[in-house]
Amino acid sequence: MKFTTKVAAAATTMLAAALLSSTAMAAPKVLMLHQWASGNDAASIAKLGEMFTAAGGTWEQTAIAGHTANTLAKLRADVVAGNAPAAVQLKGPEIAEWNATGGTADMDELATSEGWDKVVAPELLPVMKPDGKWVAAPMNIHRINWIWGNKAAMEGVGVTELPKTWADFNAACEKAIAGGKICLAHLSADWTDATTFEVVVYGQDPELFKKAFVDGDVDALRSDGMIKAFDQMRLMVSKYMDPAIAGRDYDTASNMMVNGDALFFIMGDWELGTIKSVGKEPGKDILCGQAPTDWGKPGFILNSDSVVFFKQSNPDYVEGQKLLAHLILSPDFQKVFNIAKGSIPARMDIDLAASGFNACQIQSQADLKASIEDGELVRSMAHNMTVLQKYRGAMMDTITEFVNTPEMSSADAANAMADAVEAQM
Amino acid sequence: MSSAGYTAMAGGTGLWEKLKRWVPIFVITPSIIASFVYVFVFAGWTLYISLSDSTLLPTYGFKGLENYFSLWANRRWGVAYSNLFFFSTFYVLAAMAVGLVLALLLDQKIRAESFWRTMYMYPLAVSFIVTGTVWQWLYNPTGGIQFLVNSLGWTDFQFALTSDRKNAIWAIILTGIWQSAGFTMALFLAGLRSVDGDIIKAASIDGASTFRIYRKVILPSITPIFLAVAVVQLQAAIKTFDLAVALTNSGPGISTTFPATYVYDLMFQRGQIGEGAAAAMMILAALAVVLVPYSLYLAWRRRRESGRG
Amino acid sequence: MAEATLNSSGVVDHEASVASRRRLISRIVIYGLLSGFALIYLIPLCVVVFNSFRTLPEISAHGLIAFPQSFRLDAWPQAWSDFCIGGQCEGIQRYFWNSVAMVVPATIISTALGAINGYVLSKWKFPGSDIVFGMMLLGVFMPGQIALLPWAFILGKIGLANSVYGLILVHCIQGLSFTTLFCRNYFVGIPDDLVKAARIDGAGFWRIFYKIILPISPPILIVTVIWQFTGIWNEYLFGVVLNSGANQPITSALVALSLNGTTVRTYDVMSAAVLIGALPPLLVYFFGGKYFVRGLTQGAIK
Repeated sequence: MKFTTKVAAAATTMLAAALLSSTAMAAPKVLMLHQWASGNDAASIAKLGEMFTAAGGTWEQTAIAGHTANTLAKLRADVVAGNAPAAVQLKGPEIAEWNATGGTADMDELATSEGWDKVVAPELLPVMKPDGKWVAAPMNIHRINWIWGNKAAMEGVGVTELPKTWADFNAACEKAIAGGKICLAHLSADWTDATTFEVVVYGQDPELFKKAFVDGDVDALRSDGMIKAFDQMRLMVSKYMDPAIAGRDYDTASNMMVNGDALFFIMGDWELGTIKSVGKEPGKDILCGQAPTDWGKPGFILNSDSVVFFKQSNPDYVEGQKLLAHLILSPDFQKVFNIAKGSIPARMDIDLAASGFNACQIQSQADLKASIEDGELVRSMAHNMTVLQKYRGAMMDTITEFVNTPEMSSADAANAMADAVEAQM
Repeated sequence: MSSAGYTAMAGGTGLWEKLKRWVPIFVITPSIIASFVYVFVFAGWTLYISLSDSTLLPTYGFKGLENYFSLWANRRWGVAYSNLFFFSTFYVLAAMAVGLVLALLLDQKIRAESFWRTMYMYPLAVSFIVTGTVWQWLYNPTGGIQFLVNSLGWTDFQFALTSDRKNAIWAIILTGIWQSAGFTMALFLAGLRSVDGDIIKAASIDGASTFRIYRKVILPSITPIFLAVAVVQLQAAIKTFDLAVALTNSGPGISTTFPATYVYDLMFQRGQIGEGAAAAMMILAALAVVLVPYSLYLAWRRRRESGRG
Repeated sequence: MAEATLNSSGVVDHEASVASRRRLISRIVIYGLLSGFALIYLIPLCVVVFNSFRTLPEISAHGLIAFPQSFRLDAWPQAWSDFCIGGQCEGIQRYFWNSVAMVVPATIISTALGAINGYVLSKWKFPGSDIVFGMMLLGVFMPGQIALLPWAFILGKIGLANSVYGLILVHCIQGLSFTTLFCRNYFVGIPDDLVKAARIDGAGFWRIFYKIILPISPPILIVTVIWQFTGIWNEYLFGVVLNSGANQPITSALVALSLNGTTVRTYDVMSAAVLIGALPPLLVYFFGGKYFVRGLTQGAIK
């Protein structure tokens, strides 16, 4: 890893020199605001800092841990104070929202010269260029709809492969229960409950997913399909998960699956980093597969981390933004960052097999391409890639309330979710 | 109270003397301005924003009471408000009860009083992050108290407050008591120590028992302290934020949402600054419900006392 | 004082033995209760201290509440100078010193201002001074979430955004209500005659403050310092939002350690970091604690 970073650094230094020749006086500087304050995430972002420094820039970062609200509070405070940070980790519809305030920087010049439109995954284009101009640089593509399985535990109860459909999944869970195991490891938080639930909805009916979670259609939220998804969710919560899901932390839930106390874990591909950090081999001890779908094609729920650039008056920071955007979209960074983080590059032109990505990540890219062709690719609601935060918040409130309220019926939940979204309109 | 106020000062002759007369005013003016801005301008700004169309950033288009209507139509706000009542009741009463018991115990001429006192007061010095982290460990069913008791042999024992929707608020209440009972103790102890020794002496000469002296003489004479402690605790309860965020982060589900955490969520997470400001105004309203009667009571008491001379 | 008389009340010569037995029992009950409460209060502290000495495998095998079976101090230097926060592996030391640089001036300035304000509002009353006091008092009740954006706006306007000076200013002003309240209530108890006599002798505003007021105010100043120091040291929201980059306070590092969403928890380092982060206010409490009740008796409760 150290070696690739160095090579990358050398290459980018040359590129940076070329970039900077136009405005030779400016010394590129950047202050990046993000919420990756610890663990793998922090290590990954530190790589970006190393590359930036190696390319002759002055790197500064504000890492704010915990709830996203803290990062957003910081951003709002900075904008209100009149000094928006040069680069901010923001995603999904928030890019468009902030773009609408008129504070974002126009990165089109650089984007055209480097041909971003041709290499970046097409699903990301409308997100990164909300009104036709590039204002953000995508760092990666996360896949949400993964199911992870502990091979030994599965074999122990007679489950030979990862479930393909929800019926398979339920059957496998019955075997797990009969064998005295927990079927699905889980931790209850608004985002994890919403993650599992959106995977269920997508697996049952991708059209419903698009109407309800992408368009925010109230009738779709109230529909029978949604009630059916809540039914499946109730079955999973009441029977296939253990009772102690609330208040559990992430690594405990992950370890339940990794240690074989539970068979499966439905979680995005950042789980790869956690699996590796406890010394297990993804694809061997721990199987990865597409989360169940009832329609027999590759599906992909996409999440992407990106960096949004805000207008700067100081030329040093303007230069810094260009350099940072250039680095983020460089193949070298996309490789280094994503190998560590478990995700895949936002650029589609990188050969993963030749660059040290693992089998799960290679499958992720293949499924991404296939789902684009089939038109089944969707962006993630739970991970804030579709509707505005106020609708997402209303949806997640209901989903997590449903998970934690045994006596709440599926029909009530669907109605409550539709009402909550409607109240925000 | 006849103070040596500046109005009563003998008028000086020189310019210097005149200037000197204004020194106290000069000295306090910056603080007055700062406090005025902090209290009235900020609250006024929030009031205006609550009536505006602000979303992602504060904007100033007038929208009337819409934010208030949509706030009260929101289920989660209902949960937050009813949590506030539930939490306030138990948190205030129990923290006062524990604090009073501790204060009474410490008042029994015990050895090494400062040692005991420090022990009960150290949580006050610790931040919510520390308290939240540690108590989360204790409540954690797979490593904390439940795990401990289970591994001691009582395998059916269940203690998983933070993971139980109906009882998670008790986790916050218990931790809140742990953190603040030392403070109520200090206030009560301060009150007990300020009771006139002669009254107690007179009572004990009359042969009253310790218990009776407390019940009939000492405690009644510190009623104002009870009220003061209740108000202090109640306003802390209304502002509860840190503890709820650190312990349960509004979960499981939305069961431990509090008004202050919801304000933060609306304003900063969801980009609904207008509605968040409306919720903030409701918090201020709740504070006013507590504080206005209390300050009227204080004013009344002061007048009565000065009336008696 | 209450306790001086209460316990001698039951002593009657001819029933001395009965009385002393009763006294013994009541002592046992009192100390028993005190110890019981002390145990509850100490358990969380012990849990953290123990965990800072234990190894991670030991913690995951025996749970979070257990006596250390091994003893090692590795976690402490790791938390202080090695652990990675925000991708920088230099531990919490920088954050710690950032907090020190903020809390010391903010505490001193706000305490000084509170003392002067309290002095004016109690001994140099002017028309409307009670209203001024009432207004300042309201500041005690302001919820922090309301003030966040206005502060950001003001700090931006005066060029103190994202700096430690901006935070010092914010903490001074927000602290004014408390410090003024404490000091004013304490000074009200100083006899006015003392001040009057000094003025007849020709002493001015500042001279009376230095010669008469300050020498008798240490108890309340200590209460004020404790209050401000612990409050500012433990504050998170403002410290994180109104500051940036390398200037973040200790609380932000602790949150980063304790709320790390998707990665493995290092309970041992967390414990050590949490203890280091809690140490300064704890020390302030331990050394100033005995003044606290005394200061409250004379100050806050009035």
